[in-house]
Amino acid sequence: MKTSYIFKNLKAFAFLVALSAFVSSCTEKIDIKLDEGYTRLIVEGTITTDTTAHTISLSHTTSYYYSEPAPGVTGATVTLSDGEAEITLAETEPGIYQTPADYYGIPGRTYRLNIILDSPISGEDTYTASSYMFPGVKLDSIKAAYHDDWGEEGFYELQCYVLDPPSTDFYQFKTYKNGVLITDTLSKVLITDDRFYNGNYTNGIGIGFLDQSKPKEKVATNDRLSVQTSRITEEYFNFVTELQIQSGYQTPLFSGPPANIKGNISNGAVGFFAAYPVSYAHTLVSEN
Amino acid sequence: MNEMKPQLLLILLFLLTIARPVMAGITPEDTGGKRFTISGHMKDKKTGEELIGATIYIREIKTGTTTNVYGFYSISLIPGKYSILYSYIGYTSVEETLELKENSTVNIELVTRETQLREVVITGERPDENIRKPEMSVVKMDIKTINRIPALMGEVDIIKAIQLLPGVQSTSEGSSGFSVRGGGPDQNLILLDEAIVYNASHLLGFFSVFNNDAIKDVVLYKGDIPASSGGRLSSLLDIRMKDGNQKTLSGAGGIGTISSRLTLEGPIIADRTSFLVAGRRTYVDIFLPFAKNKDIRDNVLYFYDFNGKLNHRINDRNRIFLSGYFGRDVFANDFARMSLGNQTGTFRWNHLFSQKLFSNFTLIQSAYDYELGTPEGNASSFIWKSKMQNQSLKGDFTWYGGPNNTIRFGTSVTRHTFDPGNAKGTGSESLFTEYKLPRNYALEYGVYVSNEQKVSEKILIKYGVRFSAFQNIGPGTIYNYDEYYNVTDSVVYSSGTIINTYHAFEPRLGLNYMLTNTASIKASYSRTVQYVHLAQNSTAGTPLDLWFPSSPNVKPQKADQFAIGYFKNLKDNSIETSVEVYYKNMWDIIDFKDNAELLLNAELEGELRTGRGHAYGLELMARKNSGKLNGWISYTLSASRRKIEDINNGNSYRAPYEKPHNIAIVLNYEFNERAVLSANWVYSTGAPVTFPTGRAVIGNVIVPIYSDRNAYRLPDYHRLDLSFSIKGKNKKERKWQGEWNFSVYNAYGRKNAWTINFVQDPSNPGQTYAEKTYLFSIIPAITYNFKF
Repeated sequence: MKTSYIFKNLKAFAFLVALSAFVSSCTEKIDIKLDEGYTRLIVEGTITTDTTAHTISLSHTTSYYYSEPAPGVTGATVTLSDGEAEITLAETEPGIYQTPADYYGIPGRTYRLNIILDSPISGEDTYTASSYMFPGVKLDSIKAAYHDDWGEEGFYELQCYVLDPPSTDFYQFKTYKNGVLITDTLSKVLITDDRFYNGNYTNGIGIGFLDQSKPKEKVATNDRLSVQTSRITEEYFNFVTELQIQSGYQTPLFSGPPANIKGNISNGAVGFFAAYPVSYAHTLVSEN
Repeated sequence: MNEMKPQLLLILLFLLTIARPVMAGITPEDTGGKRFTISGHMKDKKTGEELIGATIYIREIKTGTTTNVYGFYSISLIPGKYSILYSYIGYTSVEETLELKENSTVNIELVTRETQLREVVITGERPDENIRKPEMSVVKMDIKTINRIPALMGEVDIIKAIQLLPGVQSTSEGSSGFSVRGGGPDQNLILLDEAIVYNASHLLGFFSVFNNDAIKDVVLYKGDIPASSGGRLSSLLDIRMKDGNQKTLSGAGGIGTISSRLTLEGPIIADRTSFLVAGRRTYVDIFLPFAKNKDIRDNVLYFYDFNGKLNHRINDRNRIFLSGYFGRDVFANDFARMSLGNQTGTFRWNHLFSQKLFSNFTLIQSAYDYELGTPEGNASSFIWKSKMQNQSLKGDFTWYGGPNNTIRFGTSVTRHTFDPGNAKGTGSESLFTEYKLPRNYALEYGVYVSNEQKVSEKILIKYGVRFSAFQNIGPGTIYNYDEYYNVTDSVVYSSGTIINTYHAFEPRLGLNYMLTNTASIKASYSRTVQYVHLAQNSTAGTPLDLWFPSSPNVKPQKADQFAIGYFKNLKDNSIETSVEVYYKNMWDIIDFKDNAELLLNAELEGELRTGRGHAYGLELMARKNSGKLNGWISYTLSASRRKIEDINNGNSYRAPYEKPHNIAIVLNYEFNERAVLSANWVYSTGAPVTFPTGRAVIGNVIVPIYSDRNAYRLPDYHRLDLSFSIKGKNKKERKWQGEWNFSVYNAYGRKNAWTINFVQDPSNPGQTYAEKTYLFSIIPAITYNFKF
């Protein structure tokens, strides 16, 4: 059982209320010398039901202050199997391995990823991961509601209407504005479990938030807002939750001790190989 | 409930078997020769308030006793003529001469010395309890001392004062959480009039719940916890409220920068019945509408405290007390509302079976609860509540055997109720169904007996044992876990069944060897056992406290502590010095797995990991209680480590509050009877932290990669606080006494790191740097205090 995103927000809220009003908390840069740990492989990849070239990217960890993009791991043999057929991915750019453009995932299958490196990283050259793809869910509809009293310049909230099945489910929601992904990092993606509405009709629960003080998220009349909905595995839900916590602000009041996030790649590699179905729902923003 | 009876019987039997030989061993000496008893109460002459720990010294036999927490004393002597010296710190001593030929009652009232300006008034027989008593690792703090310590935002705070003692550390900047000798903040038993205070913090820990005007006495046991108390591993903080002025109606209060307080006390029936009520409320929220940021303007933010006490003397043998505390914090804005607080209630009955046998029976209720919610009228409107409470029944007896033996024994039963969490939708539009974690119940028993014995002129010993037991009682659900901490199945127990029982013997030993009249060596050993635990893995502590019981999956935490110390008083006992060394071994201590989910988690036990811990340290202290310049200096050198399977790859790691070097200097300089300048300076090694040793970029997010837990440290911490207080001119006819207090927290503006985060440079997201957050720069405050 995982704390839903609401509770995460509430904790942050309580912290802010107290600090903003009470304490003249300030921040400043500080020089901290960090040791360097051993290098690990990073695997990142997603198979969805969309028909497209799906990407598995390989890179490796660096020292914490390393400021360049993560170095790609080239020359690996990356194979993908869905239990029926196995394909070998082509390296299209250094560290980027892709399926053919007509590839799509099929719900109900378990996808297995196999990676053999050209030269081992920290003594390991073979890595595997697998992920089950759940049957999809499709939202009946979404609605955009404007809240002028949230934040500095108001928020658009995307509200969803769908019947949640009686099973324990985990969902991921990504928000698009006019076809452009707004939740463009894993820290912005919204994930939730169904603990508080399991088996019920979700009568307008918020699944996407657009901050009107941010130019990229600013919404105009007749903008087309979309939500990509996926039913994800508990393992992936936990991974994203941990990633959001560990990459976010740590406070002595609410944060537990820093810890490594737990992915699903074997042999000590970092990252996650996920397979999930996707469906889309759209709404047009009407005048306020 | 029938199943419980054999257990209770067992405990009773145990009590008898233990108590008998002990009592038998000393009876010939005490009842053989003819002895008479002198007993009575010691009080403050002006207020009638009983004095706790005041000394009674019999010159002829060079021995004495001290008053208990109800101001009662008793001593049995062979007939003869005695001169008895009654004294208490800060009061003028009184000497009585008595021809003892029958049992006598002597009640004594002492007068306060208004200032401590004059160097020691009475020499030779000054209280030197710190040298003579077979107890160590104990610090008493009087309210007068606490009131002088410069405080954050002028809010005098008992717990912040305690953090200035050797062996005690704050958990985080400005926090009222504290760690004693390497233990966790949940391992401190905090009692207010014997009721447990689960969360002693207000406002996310920046202030503590104790209103200093309503408090009479504060004692901290850092080890060598008396056998009468148990249930926590590290320490006992015993706080007693004032009983209420028995002579006249009086009051005290203060108007401060962030809060005001008022205490009223007085007799209802003179010398028989008196009352006390005290309240405190913050008013930061009054200023919120002036804030620039509109989000802050709409916030609600306050806390308040209420203390009340009533006591009535039925006759010379019986007295009853009723006391309570109620406090609450409320934060709210447009999005959410949070409210939390403690409630305690204590009913006590002092009964004298004879002049030698003092007893007290106590009925206690205490609770801590919090609720979080969002406003109604929304699809996601909800409220989340959690509560922890207990009811206790206690009987404590003291048998004053003779000048050489004081036997204490007693028993207690506590019923714990845990309501770990219940979240549900609110309002007609909410979709949230109820999500409820099952309540669970437990019973905790304690039986103890101990004796304080004077073996010879030089040797005093204290020995005792506490037998404790803990039972999970149905209804309840127990989950079974596999070796990977995943739930395999669960068993549901019906109401009243005993699900599981733990028990333990907790021996407590103390030895005092007097080297000279002003120096002694002391040693102690104590075992402590903790049956309820706090699910909390943040360093500073959140108000979202969740206590959970030991169960078939969670063993009680155990600790053995050994300590040895050298105590020496200088300059006619006006300077007390001490050196203490301790070693602590801990079993089954609790930590949490990486990325643990502690709240609203039915399978919380699967998030726990248990293992061993040990701590050791050296504590030095020199304290001067009188003179123009008074205060103390302390230094602590300590270490605390944990080794827990699954955490830090099973390797030993630093406990969260391990700060090897600690210095505290607390000084007051009294210019004259009206003006006092106070300063304190603290220094400690930075708290242990975990920093990344690498990074991975996943989903366009820079994710830190960590190696060893707590392998790094925050920068060293140090801070100077100052305060100056000046009293109004003392006019004989006027009862009103005012005092202005000006204080500065963090006087030289040290930017002490509260936390260090690694953040992405907004202008260059690929770049990361370390950023420290500090809470307080220089914080001045003004408070006006008054008494009438």
